[in-house]
Amino acid sequence: MSGEPVTLGKIVLVALRELFAERRHPDGLAAALTFTGMLVLLESLAFGPGRAREPATASAVFWIAVVFAASLVTMRSFDRELEDDAIDAVIALPGGREALYAGKVLAIAVVVAVVAIAAGALSILLLDLGIALPGHLVLVGALGVVALPPVVVLANVLTLRVRARVALVPILAFPILVPQLLAATQGAAAALSGDAAAALGWSGLLAAFALVYAVLGLTIVPAAIE
Amino acid sequence: MIETTAAPFPTLRLRPWLAPVALAAAAVGTYMALFWAPTDAVQGEVYRIIYVHVPLAWLSYLAFVVVFLASIGWLWSRRPWFDALAVSSAEVGVLFTGLFIVAGSIWAKPTWGVWWTWDPRLVTTSVMFVMYLGYLLLRSLSTDFQRRATRAAVLGVIAVVDIPIVHLSVIWMNSIHQLPTVLRMTGGPTLDPTMGLTLGVNVVAFTLVYLALLGERMHIERARQRLVLERRS
Repeated sequence: MSGEPVTLGKIVLVALRELFAERRHPDGLAAALTFTGMLVLLESLAFGPGRAREPATASAVFWIAVVFAASLVTMRSFDRELEDDAIDAVIALPGGREALYAGKVLAIAVVVAVVAIAAGALSILLLDLGIALPGHLVLVGALGVVALPPVVVLANVLTLRVRARVALVPILAFPILVPQLLAATQGAAAALSGDAAAALGWSGLLAAFALVYAVLGLTIVPAAIE
Repeated sequence: MIETTAAPFPTLRLRPWLAPVALAAAAVGTYMALFWAPTDAVQGEVYRIIYVHVPLAWLSYLAFVVVFLASIGWLWSRRPWFDALAVSSAEVGVLFTGLFIVAGSIWAKPTWGVWWTWDPRLVTTSVMFVMYLGYLLLRSLSTDFQRRATRAAVLGVIAVVDIPIVHLSVIWMNSIHQLPTVLRMTGGPTLDPTMGLTLGVNVVAFTLVYLALLGERMHIERARQRLVLERRS
């Protein structure tokens, strides 16, 4: 660890730098949006219009798409850092490792939120989904988006400059993300079908996992950043 | 700088004795499981696989908790001994988890009528298995010793969160798997005393087998570490 405590200012600075970079070269976002859109279209073709509209199916495909999108965006973000060695400059700053991890998590959450909103809107329009509890659906969506980046950024940090990184990131991240994926899928399905208690229960689980992995990540992941 | 003069782990001193003692204990446990323990009134003879299945489950948890503790040890002290313990326990843990899944599948066929079902306990155990395969893969693809040990240690700490999920999945989610009968949240074990004793002996025997394998694997890993450091200097 760098010794100097990380401040919120540094985290926001790293996140803003990340978001500006994404705005200047939105290749990660474009790939993620294309991928999620394609998956929603494929879903209705593969399952047929009736089955695709079922809350469990629609929410499962949506969250699988978002998890893959989060992985794509994060990998692209770290690739960009490695291509021009910008990561070394951030790490060299006092409190830079912690700020890098937390800032990346924050920025990736924003980008994944954009992808989730676009994919959600596309799903609702194309599949003509009925939403019984819109407020609950937004809550599940927001918590799901927040719960994914701590783990995906962790997997990217652990595989920096490692052979076969592209294959290794999903192998490391997806098993850890199973509880979050399950909670987000079940929570969204409950919100679509009108089960408020289940939607709130799964939201609580999502919030707990987001908190656990964010705290764990901020505590020990910076040690692995080189 | 890497510390190379760590005091030896007790397992290493006991190493020559562990394998014979483990084999003797396993022989006693096998005899009790096959001939001494009574037949189950509901499941018949097929239930006897629990004397393999439950110890394997216990050891998969134990092995990954040891990975967690050794990972904390490495992150705290940077002593290679802890890294050797972590990788050794992870390898033995993956082996036992694989056997745990296979044993469960063999029991499931006559009991549930299928080799595999999408039950939460089965799925979460498989996820744990894949997670630690990923841990070993990460280690095998990293070349630098310090970097590999640190990154694996971070993953070893994070991955331990999955163990309570696996154990409690039968309670949290709708599961057809039997509820915990030994490590229960409330009250003691619900097994018949003879079956309980047989299971206890087998748990001890399998734990000794785990320690014997761990000791041998650590011996190899420590030799490998010394070789790497000699080549470097």
